[in-house]
Amino acid sequence: MKKYIPLFLLLFFASATITLAQTDNISPARKQAIDSLALEKVKDLSKYISIIGSKETQFSEANRVMDRAEELFAPDAEMGVSSLSRKEIAYYKVRNYFERLMALNYDKVNITWYDIHYISDLERQPDGRYVGVITVYQRFEGTSIESGLNYRDTTKKDITIYVEKKQTQIAGRTIEFWDVMLGDIRVTETAA
Amino acid sequence: MRKVIIAITLFITSFGMAPGQGLFSPGSPKDDGKFAASTKQVNQFFRRFNAEESQDGMKRYYSGDALFRDRELRGKFISILFDNETSGISGELKTEFMRDVLSETQPQFLNFHEGEWFAEVVSVFQYKGRSENVTLFLKIQPEGLGYEWVIDKVVFQPFKDIFNKPIGTDKSFIHPLSHELGFMNLRKAFENSNSPESYTAKEYVPDYLTLFLYELKKGSIKFETISDVKFHFFQINNWYFELDQFNRPGFNTGWLIGDLVKLKPGDKETILEFIYDQK
Repeated sequence: MKKYIPLFLLLFFASATITLAQTDNISPARKQAIDSLALEKVKDLSKYISIIGSKETQFSEANRVMDRAEELFAPDAEMGVSSLSRKEIAYYKVRNYFERLMALNYDKVNITWYDIHYISDLERQPDGRYVGVITVYQRFEGTSIESGLNYRDTTKKDITIYVEKKQTQIAGRTIEFWDVMLGDIRVTETAA
Repeated sequence: MRKVIIAITLFITSFGMAPGQGLFSPGSPKDDGKFAASTKQVNQFFRRFNAEESQDGMKRYYSGDALFRDRELRGKFISILFDNETSGISGELKTEFMRDVLSETQPQFLNFHEGEWFAEVVSVFQYKGRSENVTLFLKIQPEGLGYEWVIDKVVFQPFKDIFNKPIGTDKSFIHPLSHELGFMNLRKAFENSNSPESYTAKEYVPDYLTLFLYELKKGSIKFETISDVKFHFFQINNWYFELDQFNRPGFNTGWLIGDLVKLKPGDKETILEFIYDQK
């Protein structure tokens, strides 16, 4: 949480300067600040996924990381997974997805993330919250020593972000800020 | 207390020392340009079509930015938004389309909120013990403080099979003096016919969406999964195009125009009738 404080402050100041002109619209400057916060959360998720998947991670630590990773998500978030051989989406609860990742039967797993991302516009929902999608690409490499099998894939992850204006009390003053939560993630195996 | 602080500090710093690598870590695999070239989201298709982002997609252009909707940039973008590998859209048709869209006097842009485009979602539902495809058509509508996707139409073959109105001499009817008998012959009509739709007006069209919702609410049809998504666009005057997702090796991937049709008067209705497949 602590690490997000500078970004929250940035968002707060970005909000404060523009609130007078636009009460609920998101200006380009504010959008940029929200993108940074959202990307920070996606970065954390990517790090957590790499840790959970790694065979060098102790069981207890993996569980703690899963708890932290879950905190990034809005309630009821799901992962929808499809592969090149199976176009239909298989649905997993976020925790269940992490547990399956941890339990994969490889001796060595290496999860890395491509140096590219794409951030959509933010669209307003009927309830007033904003929603966007961040796309990132992940490379998975699993090695099984006994069978000598190597498995490798690249997946595209389209990650929902929910953006909401919230309030907090600081020294008796009500401060508004924009918060970001992660939502459903669509995981597609790519042919790349 | 000190022990607790040390434990918390160790816990937090342990993430940094863990073997995993996050997004943009040193040593991240480098994109060789394929992911950058790919039209990764439908949102990016809109932005590229309108020239509302930089070539690498990292900067969003807004009204007032020098390159916002720049004609030359749009030309470059739109030329890469066609499926060049499987769809067989002719070069002449693409050129004609681009000439219309990039017109110096009346350029045409896509708008997320202004209708004239919709999604076709092939989904799978469990119905009477079998997995059956259900095609859902969804459109964007304003609601509350924002927008939402709503189901506009549905195609479900088992429903279509039920409604098959006979024509000509095969069609039963209620004779024109039935009113004099207080419509007592309705008993025969309903009991002896397995095509009660024979007794409906010429303009009658079954409402498959209502039937579908009824079956869902009764619990006799249950969602399983989604297997395909595409989009249909009628926003550009006198043109129709289909947006499909191409997941394949190479640079011509992502959300691309997979079908393009120049519309003559009446064509739009014919294409819509074909897509919606309600009869």
